[in-house]
Amino acid sequence: MSLRAEVRQTRILLVDDDPAEQVLLARQLKGVEEPSTELEYVGDIDGAVEIVKAGGIDIVFLDNRLVPNNDFRETAPLLRQAGFIGPIGIISSDISGSYFQEFSDYGVDFKIGKDEIDGTVISFIIAEYMRDQLSETCSEDYL
Amino acid sequence: MLVTETALHLGPELERAVNRMDFFRLFKSLAGTHGFSYFGVTEIVGEEHGLNFQSVHALHNFPGVWFADPKNLAIGVADPVVKYLQKASAPCAIDMRQDPSEVLLSSGDDLAVIVPLHAATGKRHGLIMVGGDVTVVDHHALALIALDAALIFQRYFEVILSLESISGLNDREIQIVRWTSEGKTSAEIAIILGLSEHTVNSYIAAMLRKLHVVNRAQMVASAIRSGLIT
Repeated sequence: MSLRAEVRQTRILLVDDDPAEQVLLARQLKGVEEPSTELEYVGDIDGAVEIVKAGGIDIVFLDNRLVPNNDFRETAPLLRQAGFIGPIGIISSDISGSYFQEFSDYGVDFKIGKDEIDGTVISFIIAEYMRDQLSETCSEDYL
Repeated sequence: MLVTETALHLGPELERAVNRMDFFRLFKSLAGTHGFSYFGVTEIVGEEHGLNFQSVHALHNFPGVWFADPKNLAIGVADPVVKYLQKASAPCAIDMRQDPSEVLLSSGDDLAVIVPLHAATGKRHGLIMVGGDVTVVDHHALALIALDAALIFQRYFEVILSLESISGLNDREIQIVRWTSEGKTSAEIAIILGLSEHTVNSYIAAMLRKLHVVNRAQMVASAIRSGLIT
């Protein structure tokens, strides 16, 4: 099982309309073991679309509600329409709403409460979503 | 020990869990609720083998630096935790001052809780919780941990581990195998369906297990033979 992130930093994009969340996440990232991470921050979905279009982002942490947009059901598909095929995780202070169950229908990979995030969670997310899930016998064998 | 009713693993998230990330959160909540900082769940393969936390079905938040080889997250067969899991069917709290575990002592704590877990198929797994501010785990707390761990593991087995016994593909899997039969790569299918490449590969990995095949070509052939796609 190889980690793509072994060759370079994992670039995480945080999309959150509260700038304080950037400070909090940056603090949590200091607790992450290898691989090293680089955090980018943007406060709205339009800016996020531009950043993912430019390329180089490995994982997006997307706040559930970005003013003036509605919840992730409106914003996550915009990132997919921009061609982003990396993992998208929805973060929220409250993920108890039943509509979070529909996350995979909107191109989202996982959901997590903001109060659950710590260094070990981020390490798991990177390991889980940056690893090759398929064996070599199942590589893109027609390429 | 106080166990609040609002703990994540005791609420609706257990029934809502659909992927490994959700189960990571549930087991972490169980550990945290009982005062432990770290947990690990993995399969007990046999008496000759230790515990491998690099396995695709393992879940853990153990720091890599605890292990002799951070690229090979294993606890050796001679470790007292492994020995206990191999022979036991009941949970226990281990005092690591008496029975030192080379890996788990790195947590800086003397106490580890070990919970054997059993799948309906007979496969055996083990949950280890360590680290934090716990000094004593009484009988009542141990029983609560074991019950909650069994409930989470049962759901983990149903949703993630038992794919080999499920027949048929869901709508999303049929879409993906159909696009694969058209020669599309995972990245291309991700763009077409508005998913991540990771999600597409997760579906493919699940289909390989369900159809008992080893590569994409065999997956497509099997799906055609079974009439799942035309």
